Amino acid sequence: MRRSSSIVTDMIHVFGYKDKNYVYDTGSGSLHECDERTARYLKGEDIALSEEELSEIEALKKEGLLGAPEPSVAPAKPKEIKALCLHVSHDCNFRCAYCFADEGAYHSVREVMSSETAKAAIDFLLRESGQRKVLEVDFFGGEPLMNLGVVKETVYYAKAEAEKRGKKFLFTTTTNGLLLDDETIKFFNEEMENVVLSLDGRKEVHDAVRKTVNGKGSFDAVIGKIKKFVRSRGDKHYYVRGTFTAKNLDFSRDVLFLADEGFDSISMEPVVTEIPELQIREEHLPAIEKEYERLCDEYIKREEEGRYFNFFHFNIDLEGGPCLQKKVSACGAGNEYFSVVPNGDLYPCHQFAGDAAWKMGNVFEGKIDPALRAKFAENSLFTRRKCGDCFAKFICSGGCAANNYHYEGDVNEPYPLTCAMMKKRIECGMHALAERRSRENSHKN
Amino acid sequence: MIKTIAKPAERKIVGCGECRSTCQSACKTSCTVGNQSCERITREQKIEEQK
Repeated sequence: MRRSSSIVTDMIHVFGYKDKNYVYDTGSGSLHECDERTARYLKGEDIALSEEELSEIEALKKEGLLGAPEPSVAPAKPKEIKALCLHVSHDCNFRCAYCFADEGAYHSVREVMSSETAKAAIDFLLRESGQRKVLEVDFFGGEPLMNLGVVKETVYYAKAEAEKRGKKFLFTTTTNGLLLDDETIKFFNEEMENVVLSLDGRKEVHDAVRKTVNGKGSFDAVIGKIKKFVRSRGDKHYYVRGTFTAKNLDFSRDVLFLADEGFDSISMEPVVTEIPELQIREEHLPAIEKEYERLCDEYIKREEEGRYFNFFHFNIDLEGGPCLQKKVSACGAGNEYFSVVPNGDLYPCHQFAGDAAWKMGNVFEGKIDPALRAKFAENSLFTRRKCGDCFAKFICSGGCAANNYHYEGDVNEPYPLTCAMMKKRIECGMHALAERRSRENSHKN
Repeated sequence: MIKTIAKPAERKIVGCGECRSTCQSACKTSCTVGNQSCERITREQKIEEQK
């Protein structure tokens, strides 16, 4: 009998979820379920395991699924651009209190993108995409439906130009839903690979922050339109995407409200703001962690009952997820993904847009600042030094560069509060996966 | 007792770059690589399912 584990490292993450114990092996990316004795042993506690228990651990070690060394892989540094976020409207018909984009204006004038600029952006992307066949463009704002004509013109132009080159575009639009009408719904269903619809949940929660330009809550104005769109969507992708703030730390109720309203593809994000009454702070973390657990329990229960809905942040695809090279390469902002604002200026992503320090070029000039691009190309999990010992590093890839910059002043400096929420969501996602596997196995037997 | 719940699928090809841009998926504030799936594996699974 051995009384303490010889393989305890930061790379073996042992965690409990209610009465379950899990072991996530960071090196191999494997998830195991174990009993409490084994969990305590793997945490390094002085506990005697039987020969049988030890042999199970040894078998996993031999298979490379436990205590695996950290994989050695170099981040991809692609020279091709694969995606653009087109800010077709730096104007919005909403005045949401927490808007990172200055209620659509991005700290500048309210304006829309011309079709000439949008087409120049498409030409730029096609030119810079090298051998890549599938390209992505998302229409963003402000509110992109305030410039629907340019959205349509851009889609048709991009498709025609792509076809000449044997390429294909996948389009996404993010909208608040206010201007959705039958014609737009038809266009979206024909042309948009994905549509992201902003809706925060319960009416009182939504209306407290998402107001129209006349200061009224927008829930009643959008809910019917968004429902109509989703009903028409068939099996095509969409997300109803909400934001939670310090005012609704009980956000699981908002996610479940959305599920009860018939939406089966939902995302709910912590707000990014410095507004004191809305900002998520460290003292909120225990409540938020409990809320993720509440949500996870209900998510599993509904799946068991045949009422599954997809919650974006519980999607942890350990088997068919991205390859290791992708996982260490971070999001690609400023290197393979850029934002284009109405005058054609390029930024690393939408969250840097309008900040002159981060301007990287212009689609009409067709050049990207080589020094800034090199800086972003270098960004990877390995440039985020604080991530070195974190179990979640190959899942979160060092987090969002913009989030890091806005909170910590450095794209490579992860914001601890974001990390803590991320880790909790990952644990919930792993527990949900384990419960799903357990159900599948019991159905087989 | 310890049993494996999930382990990464064996990859024939890595680093092909086919994957979608991370920030295009859902949230545009905290999208993460780990919430994505491999486009190639997903496509191959669909083909298998259709057979």
